[in-house]
Amino acid sequence: MTNKELIIVGGGPAGLAAAYTAAQTGCHVLLIDRNPQMGGQLIKQTHKFFGSEKQFAKTRGLNIAKKLISDVETCSDRIEIICDATVVGLYADQVVNVLHNEKYYKYHFDALIIATGAGEKMLAFENNDLPGIYGAGAVQTLMNLYGVLPGQNIVMVGSGNIGLIVSYQLIQAGVHVKALLEAAPKIGGYKVHASKLRRLGVDILTQTTIQRAIGNGCVNQIETIELDDSWKPIKGTEKLIDVDAVCIAVGLSPLYQLLAMGGAELKYVPELGGMVPIVDGLHQTTINNIFVAGDVAGVEEASSAIVEGYLSGLAAAAKIGYQQPDYQKSIADYQQQLKNLRSGPFGAKIRAGLKKVEAKTNA
Amino acid sequence: MRIFKHPILDFPKKKVIHFQFDGVEFSGVEGDTIASALYANGIKKLSESVERHRARGLYCAIGNCSSCYMTVDHIPNIKTCVTPLSEGMIVESQIGKGVIR
Amino acid sequence: MNANIVIIGAGISGTAIAYYLAAKGMKDIVVVDKGYLTNGATGRCGAGIRQQWATKMNCIMAKKSVEFYEKANQTLKYPGDIEFKQEGYLIVAVTPEEDAQFSKNVELQNSLGIKSRKITKEEAKEIVPHINTDMFISATFCPTDGHINPFKANDAFYQAAKRLGVSFYFHEAVQSIQTVNHKVVSVTTDKHTFETNKVVNAAGGFAHEIGLMAGVPIPVYPEKHEILVTEPIEKIQGPMVMSFGKNLYCQQVPQGSFVMGRGTPGALHNHDIESSWEFLDEMAKTVVAFLPVVGELRVIRQWAGSYNMSPDRQPILGTVDECEGFYVACGFSGHGFMFAPITGLLLSEIILNQPTSIDMTELCMNRFKNQKTIEVEKSVV
Repeated sequence: MTNKELIIVGGGPAGLAAAYTAAQTGCHVLLIDRNPQMGGQLIKQTHKFFGSEKQFAKTRGLNIAKKLISDVETCSDRIEIICDATVVGLYADQVVNVLHNEKYYKYHFDALIIATGAGEKMLAFENNDLPGIYGAGAVQTLMNLYGVLPGQNIVMVGSGNIGLIVSYQLIQAGVHVKALLEAAPKIGGYKVHASKLRRLGVDILTQTTIQRAIGNGCVNQIETIELDDSWKPIKGTEKLIDVDAVCIAVGLSPLYQLLAMGGAELKYVPELGGMVPIVDGLHQTTINNIFVAGDVAGVEEASSAIVEGYLSGLAAAAKIGYQQPDYQKSIADYQQQLKNLRSGPFGAKIRAGLKKVEAKTNA
Repeated sequence: MRIFKHPILDFPKKKVIHFQFDGVEFSGVEGDTIASALYANGIKKLSESVERHRARGLYCAIGNCSSCYMTVDHIPNIKTCVTPLSEGMIVESQIGKGVIR
Repeated sequence: MNANIVIIGAGISGTAIAYYLAAKGMKDIVVVDKGYLTNGATGRCGAGIRQQWATKMNCIMAKKSVEFYEKANQTLKYPGDIEFKQEGYLIVAVTPEEDAQFSKNVELQNSLGIKSRKITKEEAKEIVPHINTDMFISATFCPTDGHINPFKANDAFYQAAKRLGVSFYFHEAVQSIQTVNHKVVSVTTDKHTFETNKVVNAAGGFAHEIGLMAGVPIPVYPEKHEILVTEPIEKIQGPMVMSFGKNLYCQQVPQGSFVMGRGTPGALHNHDIESSWEFLDEMAKTVVAFLPVVGELRVIRQWAGSYNMSPDRQPILGTVDECEGFYVACGFSGHGFMFAPITGLLLSEIILNQPTSIDMTELCMNRFKNQKTIEVEKSVV
């Protein structure tokens, strides 16, 4: 058993940001990530971000990751990093159990930030387990991180921002996007992304879904079907499309399992993607000294994950005795930034969801 | 299939890494995971489901969904999507639950 | 609401009692549970089934339960399968005292028709090839012992009971039991009051608290026991491997995972069922010493549950002197799952004033009033 001041689980945007602000206060941090490299999903995002300067607007995701990683590297005397390591247990006496190189390691912590992010949702249809059917994150990983094409003829399912952006990335990599299916009557993501795809000749089919995949050992055809206004399939509208890959972009759900094991109070909030922890204004869960940041607290954009990371890093460090003179001011600033990011019509869902998890703490 | 030309990303030539898949010699490149190297070689079926022997491939690529389990260097249930490829690895399709020695 | 009987607890003891009563024609049976089906000790137990005991009562109850479980799918008309895998229990003796005790145990078991036998280390290795023979002196083996899927088994009793008209109330906690002149008159939950003159305490870890509601101090207490499960692999181990002296039980379930557990030395007598890292450490050391190859496997989950401990580690069944109409089925000391069929049968006989299938003298709560007759079961982990 090794003692650590602050342990952060997950080295994506939230975890990296948290490590940085915590280390700035003098706090010693252990940052643990399951993947071979830090950066989470950002390292595979080639598109430029929206938002304001403070959250790296107009910068490509992978460059934001580079910036966050290099920030963390400037504090290498206070931030220790372990990649390829999975936190598999969280115990009541402030201990985590970590699986690394086929061995288990135990660490005691004073404070913990859980920034495990989110996992891909799946869609139910016949043969949805055929190889060649991927989550949108997996397509980005293969293509943008490893330089491997997921296929040559693909159908995208889901028109949220992820579905739209990944379709564009696929085209950039030379993949033929044969159609983009959306079960709802309207496109889910930003119009500007959708228009770009239309200009490139992608068929965006609303009120249409995938009914089954066909193939032996790998998908080679899919059957689509149109939906009526009550989301019921309309018989006779089935169409076959030849593909060698299908990308499922139907949303993400928070990776809350560690929080559940630790006994944090959780709540099912559909607006935030699934089970999320009840938190206070500093992102502390119902377990003392255990904080959350990023998608695990509710699925949003990477920009809010970064700000949440900065905030919880400061708050967790302060909780264990590393409070900066301008602490209150910085916290207020991050809270304001989050408020700004969640303003406007696209933030309405998030605002409604967050109200549900915060309401209880204030009551 | 690998990407060579990309408007934003650079994929420079990397060191070749040799490995074995189901007894056949394959190669990947430095930085690959086992799964990315197999996909680059056009291999999408990584294993079979235990009960019904349905083909299993990559789904999440971040070590979350357990769809990519294979036997690597005789150790079963390796998440090949997050395990880095290394020289001389023996990678096998895992048929059934895996065997320990 | 009126009920002929209210059974507190929908673990396997409660569902088995409800099933037997309903099968014998009793109407208006109510089962109340504060959680969901199988959320308590039944769903958390190691689910081993063994007949190798050191006391006569435990041997008899285990044997009768095994006979029931062997035909349970048909008897309960279960559309699924309770997955009774009878590949035996291999119990290892790690001290000369255990070795001597085990010879006596086998003699007792054989006299009761249980086909256990004392075996050498070499014979043990033939049964479990990956066992480390340096760790023990001798062993006993009973081929008809085994393992059952506890979720399926409880579901089988539950479905059969429901089919026979039993009403189940889940997510409903008993808050008080009303008595008049030491007779049960009603049971109040957080949602209903049931007018009834019969109550069964099958509340597992909470049996003591339920007893107090009826003014019955039952000499039982809850104790945390922890379990872990590994990733599944192809079958290498048939029997359960068990050591009382080294505090271990470990088996490979049909799905391929190894399920193992041990007692927590010094565990407090409370309702704590939190998982601990200390258990992982100790469990790993113990199991790797006996079954080294299991050390290659990754742990995929761990959990804990409550044993309901009695003074002599044998169950407490039947009526109580303190309160008429109050029946107990508790104190199983970690073995309620494997004894559920006989528990259901005996309680139904007692409740319906029928002659009991086995003599209850050593199982009723009265036995503790005369300390001399108590024989403590030693064969427990």
